[in-house]
Amino acid sequence: MHHENPWLSRLRERLAAEGLTPSAHLEAIDEIAEHLNDLHRGLIRAGRSEAEATAAVEAELARMGPLAIAVAGRRGHGTRSREGWTSGLAGDARHALRALRLEPGFSAIVILTLAVGIGACTTVFSFINALLLGSLPYPDPDRLVLVWETIDDDRDRRNIVALPVYDDWRRESRSFASMGIWEYKTFNVASDQEPEQVRGIRASSSLFTVLGVPPALGRVFTQDEDARRERVAVVSDGIWRAHLGADPAALGKQVRLNGEQYQVIGVMPPGFQFPQQGTGVWVPFHREKQDEERDSHSFQVAARLAPGVTFDSARAELEQIGRALAQKYTENEDEGNTVTRMAEHNLGTVRTMLTALMGAVILVLVIACVNVANLQLGRALARRREFVVRLSLGAGLGRLSRQLFAESLALALAGGVGGLILTWSALRAADLVVTPGFRTLPFRGEVALTIDAVVLLFGAAVAVAAAALFGFAPLAGLSGREPNTLLRDAERGSTAAANRTRLTLVAVEVALAIVVLSGSGLLIKSLSGLLAVNPGLDAREVLTMQVSLPQPDTYGPPTRENFCAALSRGAEGLPGIRGLGAISHLPLSGANAGRGLTIEGRVAGPDDGASAAYRLTCPGYFATIGIPLLDGRDFTHRDVTRGEQVTIVSKTMAERYWPGASPIGKRLKLGPLESLQPWRTVVGVADDVRHFGLDSEAQREFYVPYAQSSWPVMTIVAKTVGEPMAWQSALSAVVKQVEPGLPVARVRSMEDVIVGSVDWRETPMKLLTAFAIVGLLLASIGVYGVLAYYVSQRKREIGVRAALGATRRQLSSWVVRQSMIPIAAGVSVGVGGSLATGRLLQELLYQVQPGDPQIIAIVVALLVAVGLLASWLPARRAASIDPMMALRDE
Amino acid sequence: MADPIVEAAARKGSAELLILAALEDAQLHGYDIAREIGRRSGGLLTFHVASLYPLLYKLEDRHWIQGRWIEKAGQRRRRCYKLTAEGRKVLAKQRGRWEAFVAALAKAAGLKHAS
Repeated sequence: MHHENPWLSRLRERLAAEGLTPSAHLEAIDEIAEHLNDLHRGLIRAGRSEAEATAAVEAELARMGPLAIAVAGRRGHGTRSREGWTSGLAGDARHALRALRLEPGFSAIVILTLAVGIGACTTVFSFINALLLGSLPYPDPDRLVLVWETIDDDRDRRNIVALPVYDDWRRESRSFASMGIWEYKTFNVASDQEPEQVRGIRASSSLFTVLGVPPALGRVFTQDEDARRERVAVVSDGIWRAHLGADPAALGKQVRLNGEQYQVIGVMPPGFQFPQQGTGVWVPFHREKQDEERDSHSFQVAARLAPGVTFDSARAELEQIGRALAQKYTENEDEGNTVTRMAEHNLGTVRTMLTALMGAVILVLVIACVNVANLQLGRALARRREFVVRLSLGAGLGRLSRQLFAESLALALAGGVGGLILTWSALRAADLVVTPGFRTLPFRGEVALTIDAVVLLFGAAVAVAAAALFGFAPLAGLSGREPNTLLRDAERGSTAAANRTRLTLVAVEVALAIVVLSGSGLLIKSLSGLLAVNPGLDAREVLTMQVSLPQPDTYGPPTRENFCAALSRGAEGLPGIRGLGAISHLPLSGANAGRGLTIEGRVAGPDDGASAAYRLTCPGYFATIGIPLLDGRDFTHRDVTRGEQVTIVSKTMAERYWPGASPIGKRLKLGPLESLQPWRTVVGVADDVRHFGLDSEAQREFYVPYAQSSWPVMTIVAKTVGEPMAWQSALSAVVKQVEPGLPVARVRSMEDVIVGSVDWRETPMKLLTAFAIVGLLLASIGVYGVLAYYVSQRKREIGVRAALGATRRQLSSWVVRQSMIPIAAGVSVGVGGSLATGRLLQELLYQVQPGDPQIIAIVVALLVAVGLLASWLPARRAASIDPMMALRDE
Repeated sequence: MADPIVEAAARKGSAELLILAALEDAQLHGYDIAREIGRRSGGLLTFHVASLYPLLYKLEDRHWIQGRWIEKAGQRRRRCYKLTAEGRKVLAKQRGRWEAFVAALAKAAGLKHAS
């Protein structure tokens, strides 16, 4: 008897279709459903057929509008309403999903648009998350700092550290729990496997204490082992696998590092790559006599703050010590000390780039939201009636807003899911776009780009923000007015206000697109300008190849005095090699060394010690890499230890120290006048090279023959016939023949070296360009959509004009003129905006000004072309319509 | 209310009178109210669900009638309405007005007087 009333669900369905939330009016619905059931049974009892009875009840159900209003307005008459906030929300969600399912085309376009916008945002954010928000892979990373000497006691002009100063810090500072020192080295690792050149450091044992990461296997070296100069080594997980067969019993085994036997005592855990990516070997510091010079800046220092000591107080203490050292030692006169956070090391430019990218994707997202707002606005006119009916059903503006927001949120979340899928594929494809220079951070190793919880959360937040941004457009103009007035408006299809809003949105889209496009234009122009800079050498058909030539005493005469000569002889017969040389620090590779000098006969001021960048070369280097010799001669294989000690200086150095005179025949020596270094005679002047980057000025440089003073790492350069990389194995064979067992590394063409030197600019440029294209596409679609709609709205006006005798041409040019008004407004705002944002990009620009007229002209022309096309297409359609038809349509 | 004239009259307020009158002697639920009106009018006056309940709710809001849920053994739960004291006064007053109106209508339009 107490079966579920068969009409209950049907009634709920019908009332829901009228905009009622059935769950909120259970009592009234029960009552009416009973009525319907009685009616049905009464008709059956009166002898009607089942079909007739059902049809009669359905007829009752056909017009539920007034009933829905009455039920909605009914409160507090024994109704046992279950409406609470949560059930209201659930109802909103159901309503939202139903509304979206009803318009699949609309929903798909909106979701796709949002997916692109949100996907761009989360992609850039996952870079920020990995590069800027990720912490250093050491315990308590916030307590880790780097300690520096500075030039002129200027915090921002940091210099690497001399060992005696490090000793002073250890003795005098109270701010640190531990402090460690290291120097970058390159090691040839030889085992049963093919020899390999890997990065490593010589480090104090205290460095491991600073970092606080225990080895995965074995132990790290002790202070005693360092002091006793024991040949022990800690290796990376990678070296352990490649050279020691991942064998736990490898501890205690010997490996050859640069030809010396070392005992492996520890293996670091996977991922430990301090201080840079690819570091595979850590050996004890082993103080050398030449390390003890107070002006020999060669080392980096890391420290861990003592408990309770703040970063600021540690920095204040070190800067104080720096001033005391400057008083005490002449070598430290113009110097200071400072402390920086390890986590922020070298992040400045990356931060600027990521900020610029984030700005760009936010603009793209706003463009996407503007498009969606436009679509929503169009739909809102059609739905005005529904809203008004529901308002008069007593839904209340608050409740209606909530339901609309639920709809927007459902769209945005679906867009967010789409966006995350796009992000996921973008990160998969990141290898193609993201240059390694952009993904490798000091002290962190290679950064993994992943979608983690933080990125997910960010994506959701962006989706909600987007929903808020576009979601309320349909509500505009509803609040504060009587439902009846609204209903009349809705029925009349009043659109003037909506049209104004839409045209404003067109202007906004145009303005945003101009900002994004001009930003990426500035970066593209910077990069192409940079690549067009003459580096001072001829990189065409030049192969480069790095070899380690270790020897016990890095400062003394070379143990391989005839290396250069043997190399030249070995390559002589090779048909593809037209020229050969070698250099210690290849231009644009990032390698560098500097030396203090004494120039014979030069009276220096008190703060004016001579110095220059220090290079060692093999004869033939200048001709091979295309650096012109402006005066004098190149080194020859006769410039050896026993001969005259010679040097070649760069143009800038010659102009600085021998102004107005030829330096040929003049003499200089390394270090101070009293040093035991020999005097070197200048035999040549080489043209300047942009050693530190295409965007840097030439520095003073001087060159010394490798045969007169060695260097542990040399880069062989060879001028080839045709594609340089094709000669890689031929040249390797020569090296193998000259120095058996010597691994070669970093084999690259010189052109790749140059491109590699700007690769940190390349990634953001590529990404920004991609975002600019997406932004332009979205904006074009949006502008076209609005203008097409606008023109269709003004059919009547067009019809009148046509009836009054306007020609087609006049009509379409009138429509285009009308449409260009918002576009012109957008262009002027956008140009202003791009001037402002260009200034934010300044740090990333190279010889391009934020207001670059060429870029602004191109971007404006592009947007105007888009605007013309977007209005011309509908204008042409409008002009071809029959005036009578247009008028009758109204 | 198939007849447009009757419908128009009902819209103008007679429907309220019909419902109050139907509840004069008995507590009825919505379906029975509609049926009673149909019976009394010889099938001429019928109420659709969509117009009956808004009226019932309106009358209840004015406290002329009062509904409550009644459960009887072996039967479904139903909401029955009864006339309040105020409703009775309103019914008397409206009857008087309608009688005067119908009389005037009869005279003016030359209708045969209803018995």
